Amino acid sequence: MYPPISPSDLGTLIDEADVAARRLQRKLVLPAADLDDLRQDLLVDVICRLPGFDKRRGSIGAFANIVLRNQCSRIAIRHHRQRQAQGGTVLSLDAPVAGSAEPLGCLLAETDGLAAWHGQDRCAAADVETRHDLARALADLPEDVRGLCAALGTCAVADLVGRDGISRSALYRRLARLRLELAMRGLGGRWDGSEAA
Amino acid sequence: MLVMPPTAFTPARPRPLTDIEFCAWIGQAMPGDRLEYHRGFLGIDTTAVISTLPEPDRRRLAALAGAAHRAFEAGLVHLVQVRLGPDRFAYLAIARTRPRRTPVPLARLIEDAEAA
Repeated sequence: MYPPISPSDLGTLIDEADVAARRLQRKLVLPAADLDDLRQDLLVDVICRLPGFDKRRGSIGAFANIVLRNQCSRIAIRHHRQRQAQGGTVLSLDAPVAGSAEPLGCLLAETDGLAAWHGQDRCAAADVETRHDLARALADLPEDVRGLCAALGTCAVADLVGRDGISRSALYRRLARLRLELAMRGLGGRWDGSEAA
Repeated sequence: MLVMPPTAFTPARPRPLTDIEFCAWIGQAMPGDRLEYHRGFLGIDTTAVISTLPEPDRRRLAALAGAAHRAFEAGLVHLVQVRLGPDRFAYLAIARTRPRRTPVPLARLIEDAEAA
């Protein structure tokens, strides 16, 4: 049986797997979220193959490099095969799926969307209600606060600093006030009567 | 003489009210609901040097009083006070009927701002 991996050897394996995973992710144009999975798969594979390592033939880094290169090649081949099965391109949300006239985007449920993946799972009806509530609140806001809302709708906070001579601290004071103004109109803040009692 | 209808009444709480909690109450209150947001002498309690409150509490109360005043100016609440004794009042906010205005969608607001 192969003796336990020393911490320095393990560090070498992790570093090699990390470099290989980044290279593979870049070459296959995969999303950044897949990087951790790739690194994990590669590291597990190289650890499984450690019994075949012979230190008389070379360093552990060189061994890991060869194993990782082969495994990267297998993953890339599998990935290309899957892409070819989908017609050789990335699926478009606007293109109709096979056997249906509807585009893929219309057939996906809200829970399949990117927003749901990021914990923003909202139904269309709730979105419409929020939009109506926002429109009512905006109509009721003072003119200067409404201007800030419009600016925030197109720019990031960092871009607003310096515009019209407004300082960062003044901008954050206005944002704090905007939060209160919106809460007064039913957006954002929550009043819990039982907690208050 | 102001006659108050017997509606929901939330007395002063052991835990101090913050400005965002007060605003959230306004956002959810029905017309006629009342909230006691301070008990004491607001003008003195919010003024530095003469206030007997610790500084963090004084700042919190000043922010709360500012929010109450803005809500009053926006026509969202009535602000009244009930005399409890010498130099001591209960400060009440009474929710008003919301002013009706034509809704302004955010997209139109952005368009107008870009056109200006």
